[in-house]
Order: sequence, then structure tokens, then C-alpha cells
Amino acid sequence: MSQVAAHPHATVNAEPPIYRADLTLSQVNRDITAAIFRRPNAWWFVGMAIALSCLGLGSYVVWVQLHVGMGVLGLKRPGMWGTYIVDFVFWVGIAHAGTLISAILFLFRQRWRTAINRSAEAMTIFAVMCAGLFPLLHIGRTMIAYWLIPYPNTRHLWVNFRSPLIWDVFAVSTYTIISLLFWYQGMIPDLATVRDMHPGKIGRKVYGIFSQRWKGTARDWHHYEAAYGLFAAIATPLVLSVHSVVSSDFAVSSIPGWHDTIFPPYFVAGAIFSGFAMVITVLTVVRKAFSLEDYITIDHMELMAKIILATSMIVSYGYIIEVFMSWYGEVAVENHIYIWIRFFGPYAWAGWTIVFCNCIAPLIFWFRFARRNMLILFVASIIINIGMWFERYVIIVTSLSQDFLPSNWRYFAPTTWDIGTFIGSLGLFFMMFMLFARFVPVIAISEVKSVLRTPVGEPRQPSGSLEGSHV
Amino acid sequence: MSSKYRPPAVLAMFLDPERLLAAIKAVREQGYRGIDAYTPYPVHGLSDALGLKISWMPRVTKTAFFVGAGLGFTFEAWTMAWAWPLNIAGKPYISVPAYMPVTFESGILIAGISTFIAVLIAGRLRPAPNFQNLDASLTNDRFGLYVPVRPYEQANVQELLTSLGAEEVRNLA
Repeated sequence: MSQVAAHPHATVNAEPPIYRADLTLSQVNRDITAAIFRRPNAWWFVGMAIALSCLGLGSYVVWVQLHVGMGVLGLKRPGMWGTYIVDFVFWVGIAHAGTLISAILFLFRQRWRTAINRSAEAMTIFAVMCAGLFPLLHIGRTMIAYWLIPYPNTRHLWVNFRSPLIWDVFAVSTYTIISLLFWYQGMIPDLATVRDMHPGKIGRKVYGIFSQRWKGTARDWHHYEAAYGLFAAIATPLVLSVHSVVSSDFAVSSIPGWHDTIFPPYFVAGAIFSGFAMVITVLTVVRKAFSLEDYITIDHMELMAKIILATSMIVSYGYIIEVFMSWYGEVAVENHIYIWIRFFGPYAWAGWTIVFCNCIAPLIFWFRFARRNMLILFVASIIINIGMWFERYVIIVTSLSQDFLPSNWRYFAPTTWDIGTFIGSLGLFFMMFMLFARFVPVIAISEVKSVLRTPVGEPRQPSGSLEGSHV
Repeated sequence: MSSKYRPPAVLAMFLDPERLLAAIKAVREQGYRGIDAYTPYPVHGLSDALGLKISWMPRVTKTAFFVGAGLGFTFEAWTMAWAWPLNIAGKPYISVPAYMPVTFESGILIAGISTFIAVLIAGRLRPAPNFQNLDASLTNDRFGLYVPVRPYEQANVQELLTSLGAEEVRNLA
């Protein structure tokens, strides 16, 4: 290591290295683009087949719902929000980790984010797309979903801007567009790298279109870096606002169990918690499938586990405060929802599921061996995903099923159609993620290069491709 | 290669960013102007070495944010208070707190889209299926220095760049 320490960069990068010290620039290119240039292995096709079957099932279920009507879903008073809004909040929550990693960790100069930001941002976009499907289906008349957008019409009507449901339309669509632009802008230099490495004619043309004539000149980078920082700066308040707005759907209403000032911070913490769990779930598979263990290292996994642990604490604190405030406030109807039916009544099974999955299971990350064991990480991340789905289930379903009018009360149970649609959205998510991993560098090549310990090119063989031009 | 006219220039390829930065300094001291560098990743200190002014991106984002937010709020106020005033739960027609989320999101939306377009304009980026970079290794592991020269200077500049540690120096005509 002595020649590494003697390198001028050693003084700049005094921290422990993020990547293996002997990685060279072109090695990074080869490793990360390997998945694009070689035929995917059998596992990729198996995964794709499973994802497509799930998507097919989901498409059938959705087609029946659109064809026959929402009645097949079995939505009845009073639980009209059903599981579609549960799924919506779940997917929007998943979508939060990507922008957190790319924007907030960028502003905090967390250089380890370079290993995971590209795939986490991709996850964000695909999760938002899945999330968007559910409100569109849930409004029942999907063919007039565009009524959500304020546009000049013959009825001279406008949407009600005082309603949190309209804030949601703006927040989620802004989030989708900004995440997509941020992701694509960060990807242009890497697409140019693929363009310049691509052996095929058509491939070069396609990557040429998407890499936008990127040359990598100092002026390009100068503006690119400024814009990247600005995107991070605007995406940071955006990511915090989106789930706050989603939580306003509940908090602004007067339903006990929803009408709660703690909701925005508690939803944002829960979103980051579930988002990081999904990042771990997906990256565990990606680093194995594409042999990227040198880039997505166990140290990165450990750091994510620490963030999961921290956000789990915040979420647990939120649960405790909810229960405490309703007990302390002595409002009978709130006590009934927060304490009785969630933990001792008909939905106790769901209430204790979230306590186990979101408060108790992540405690294992206090131990270093658990943060560094891929199997434990993977299993824990799945448990957290399940727990966070049930958290939204508990919030939405319990509050609605026993409202102010006891004659209205009814136990809510999801039907096979609910489950089928959710499975379909999982299929959509994983299908898009696998296509992404196949055609786009899953790790930000230029960002990895910028944090290498010794960024040095490999000397070319004497019989290089450019011999005529040597002086 | 393409038949388009290219001004005479010299392209030197370096193996590491330190030698590139040193070469930029030396070439600038010799009085050459219009030089540019090609790097596979944003090299720290490159903009300073080339003497680039602070990027104008922040002004775009800032302006676009305030314009977008202003438009968003004006639109909300116009629809709710003027185009079709509706009394909803006795709230004022212009309910400022309730209009803030959409105001904020419109600001962010316009700021983000404008910044993205500004990046494309600043780098003259556009879809180019037939684009070929000066050298494929410039997005891989080479650090290129581009020096526009007069034809009679080429030999001198080549010599200078080789002495500065360039792995390879090429004439671009």
C-alpha cells in the first residue's frame, strides 16, 4: 500500500477507501457495463418470467375491474379506501429512498452513495409508477382520470386546491418528473461511456441518441456538476414534501386515527425506512446476479442497515406517541381506534405484526454481525417491507372500519382481487428493474471513478487501435 | 471520419488527472487560449485550472423556482377566487396555507425542468445517433487536453505536451 499512500490523491482521500484500492478506471468500466454487453444468464430469464407472470395476473385482474366495475373488488361501506390506497402509500414510501440517497446523501457528501444511487433512483421511478396506478384504478372511472388535472373545460370547473387529494396529484407527479430528470441527467455521462464502448452498430446509435452527444469536456462537467448540485438542492425539500403531502390526505381529515399532527414527519421517516429496506432487498440480488460485490460492498450494506435502524427508532417513537397521546388526551373515540381495535380488537393481528416487523425485528441491526450478514440483511429487509405494508393497512383500514357511527361498523378483509392487483404491481416493478439492470449501467460509473483512490488509466498495448496517430 | 471542417488542434492524452492539471497550467502559461479538457469523470480543480467562470445554472434554477411558484399560486388564486368562486367550508377564497403545497410543487417542477433544459443548452447536448467522440477512451480512462493551434505551431505544442508527460499526442486537423 506504500505506493498508494505516496500518490497525490492520498492526501485528499484521507478517509478509508470506498472501493478496493487496486481498481483502475477501465476496470470500473468493464465491471459495470459487463451486464449490458453479455447475454443475461438463466437466472435473469427466470426472474423475468416470474415478473411477467405476476404482471400478467395483475393485468387480468385490472382488466376485469375495468370491464365489470369496481364491485368485484368487494369495496363496501365504510372501508371504501380499501387496499388500493394502502398499496399507493406503500409504493410512494418505497420511492423515497432513491431521492434520499441521490439528493440528501449528496448534500451531506456521503461518498459511499455512489455505489447505490443509480439503482435506488431507478427504484424510485418504478415505485412511483406503481404507486400512480392505484389511485387511477381506485377512482373507479379510470377513463376520466384526467379530471384530476386542472384544465380549461366546457363546464368551467376547476379542481379544489384546498383539498389534500389535489396536493397529492401535484406532489406525486412533480416527484415523478423531477426524479426522472435527475436520474437521466446523472446517467448521460455513463450512457456516453456505453456508447463509446459498444461493439455493435445499432447499440452505438441507440446509446448515441440517449447520451445526447456527451463529450466529457471540462465545460460540460462544469455545468453538469452545478446542475447536479442544484437538482439535489431542490429534490431534498421535494422528497420531504411528497410524503408529508401524502400524509395530509389523512391528517387533514377528521377521522380518528388519521387526524394527527405527527403524521408528516412520521410518514417521511417510515418512507425512508421502507425505501432503504427495498434497496437492500433489490441490491442483494443485483450484486450477486451481476457480480458487483466489489462495488456494492458489505460496508455499504452496513451503512444502509444503520439508516434502517435509525429510522426504525423514529417510526417506533411515532407509534408510541400515537398511543400515548390518545391515552393522555382521553378522547374516547381515539382511544378506541389507537389502543383498542389496533392492538386488542379485531385488527390486533395486524397491529402486533407491525410492532414486530418495524420495531422489534430491526433491533437486530444493533449487532455488527447482523449488519454484515447478507442473509440476515435480506430476511430483515423483507420483514420490514411486509411490516411497512401492514402499517399503512392498519392506519387506513382500522380507522375507516369503525367510525363515529357504530351501526356502520364492518370488518374489512381484502379480496383476491386486491391481492392480485398488488401482485401485478410487484411484477411491474421487478420487470422494469430487470430491464433497467440489463440496458443501463446499474452503478454510476463516472461517480465511482471520481472517488477511486488512484484514478489512473491503463497504459495501452503498443498495437493499439490508434497507432497511425502516434507522434 | 466525418468530412466536416475541424479547426487545427492538438489532442494530448494523459494517464492521470494530476498530469492533466499540470499540463493545463503549463499550456496556459505559454499563452494558448481556447483549450479544453476531456475527462471521464468530473476532476476536482479542473474548472479552476481552465479559469472557467462560475456556472450560470444556479441563476436558472432560482429564477425558474420563483417564476413557477408565482405562477402556481396565481393560478390557484385565479381559479378559486375569480374564475369560479366557491365557498368551501367557509374558508377564504384565497386560502394561503392551503395553496402552499401546490405553490411549492409548481416552483420545484418548473425549476427542475428548466435546469435540465439549461444543461442541454449549456453543453449543446442533443440526441446524436451518429456522434463519435474524439477518442473512445476519453469516456473510459484517458484525460484529454485539447489545444487549438495555428498550423505552424503544431510541432512545438506536440513537443511541449509530450514533455509534460502525455502518453500520446495527436494532430486534429
